[in-house]
Amino acid sequence: MEILVFVKQVPDDGVEVRLDPATGKPATGSIDKVANAFDTYALELAARYTEANGGKVTVAAMGPAGTDSTLKNLIAVGASKAYLFTDPSFETGDEASVACRLAQLVKKCEAENGAPFDLILCGKESTDEISGQVGARLAEELDLPFVSSVIEVAPAGDKLVAKQETEDGYIKFETAMPAVYTIAKPGYDPRYPNIKAKLAARKAVIPTFSAADAGVGEAPCFVECLGYTEPPKRQAGLKVQEKEVADTVAKAMEILIQDKVL
Amino acid sequence: MQAFVFIEVKEGALVQGSLEAITAAKTIGDATAVVVGYPELAAKAAEYGAPVICVKADGANPDEIVASLEAVAKAKNADAFFFAGTQLGKDLAPRLADRLATGCVTDVTGLEVVDGAVLYTRPAFGGTVIEKLKNHGKVQVATIRSGSFDKPAAGAAAAVEEFDPALGDVVKAKIVEAAKEITEAVNLEGADIIVAGGRGMGDAEGFKLVEELAAVLGAQVGASRPVIEEGWISRAHQIGQSGKIVAPKLYIACGISGAMQHISGAMASKYIVAINKDEDASIFGVADLGIVGDAKQILPLLIEEVKKRK
Repeated sequence: MEILVFVKQVPDDGVEVRLDPATGKPATGSIDKVANAFDTYALELAARYTEANGGKVTVAAMGPAGTDSTLKNLIAVGASKAYLFTDPSFETGDEASVACRLAQLVKKCEAENGAPFDLILCGKESTDEISGQVGARLAEELDLPFVSSVIEVAPAGDKLVAKQETEDGYIKFETAMPAVYTIAKPGYDPRYPNIKAKLAARKAVIPTFSAADAGVGEAPCFVECLGYTEPPKRQAGLKVQEKEVADTVAKAMEILIQDKVL
Repeated sequence: MQAFVFIEVKEGALVQGSLEAITAAKTIGDATAVVVGYPELAAKAAEYGAPVICVKADGANPDEIVASLEAVAKAKNADAFFFAGTQLGKDLAPRLADRLATGCVTDVTGLEVVDGAVLYTRPAFGGTVIEKLKNHGKVQVATIRSGSFDKPAAGAAAAVEEFDPALGDVVKAKIVEAAKEITEAVNLEGADIIVAGGRGMGDAEGFKLVEELAAVLGAQVGASRPVIEEGWISRAHQIGQSGKIVAPKLYIACGISGAMQHISGAMASKYIVAINKDEDASIFGVADLGIVGDAKQILPLLIEEVKKRK
């Protein structure tokens, strides 16, 4: 079983992104870049699948040159190979552009890997743009079966069964291979690297390709960002803090009654 | 502009977000509702003032739904196709957009037509940044965030048209099992009062105080993501970017620090009360009333006070 996991490098979502007053754009430059959380869940799910059923996991990313350190970290936590695709043309576009490029990168990854992929995984959404479109569009571009928000994958003869988490339960889908799944948060966390894996990953060389190297041509782009604003701010109200907890609660109750919310 | 809306059906009922999407569609043109499968619900959908296209297909399988909507969009020359911002809507919209070779906008919170072009607003980066977008594609495809538009008033029934897309075998992902694990009725979107708890409640035992306060207030129980991941309560209660977007009259946040991913889901609340022992917690920046103290100590007293006033 050959699994390909696409990874996006995003600003650490633990840090609030604000607009840069000078440019009017999101100020993400100083925020640490990490692998998108849902993509790390995808990698962990893939690693567990191959550990149980055989096979190996390849990760690939489109991103700026610094993305190779993110990919190295992923080699320490379950990926056996990683490819980076870096090109100025990749910096622009919308979800349609990204899906179109990824569809072409699958072929390049397969050529480098020396074997076709049986399963292609993406996180269900990225924590920066949160549009959740790329996995679905990629499946369409490749004309492959698609299941979203998967939390479990099991072999079923020459097919796979993917368990999709829904709002109040689950749906199991059976698909042929290859397929494209997007991954939600399973009931476990991604593993931590051990020292040996960390050292090996540090030495790893990440093959890096340009658009021309990878044979990626022009990609469509439909959605244009006209600008950014910040949401209306809420005015902070009163803060209550007395020495005794009972007094704090009494005072808070007084205000709540006065403000007619209770 | 001919704007179509996919009407999602869940447990034999029309999904509220789909009805809100009809209102969104009406702001840019003439709205038509599309029901896939479930012919028994077409008449119900027609009560919201938009004519209905009732498609003959399996309305449970996403592959059948996408193929149906593609057929409708092409047969009727759709200028726009809107979806509720639900899990299913967010799966279908980008797939349809790809098939129609157009762009797609996720989680739309605002719409306007300027010089004949549709301009969208949507949150990004957990809600701290709002993007203004324009889709240059031929068809406007979008998912509408819940609570951003009112649902239309029900009235005289509009026309229902049957549509047979004559789909062949389009199913690539076949449903082999479906189960409901969470049976409790959680209606966060429609709640007047929500009491929500976060990691600051300490453990599952501590979180019970949140449920107790909700019970005495007749409120719904909400939770932040860490609480769901700890398993203190089911994910049906999650509020925030990856959960529900809510707008109650009163929102009481207990032991929630106020990460943007959570608070963006409750920003539209009329009155926010925050209880947190860290006086610098960012939740206080958006709270109408901040109570500084350990929620585990405050809540039992607050519950008593509320009981006394009943």
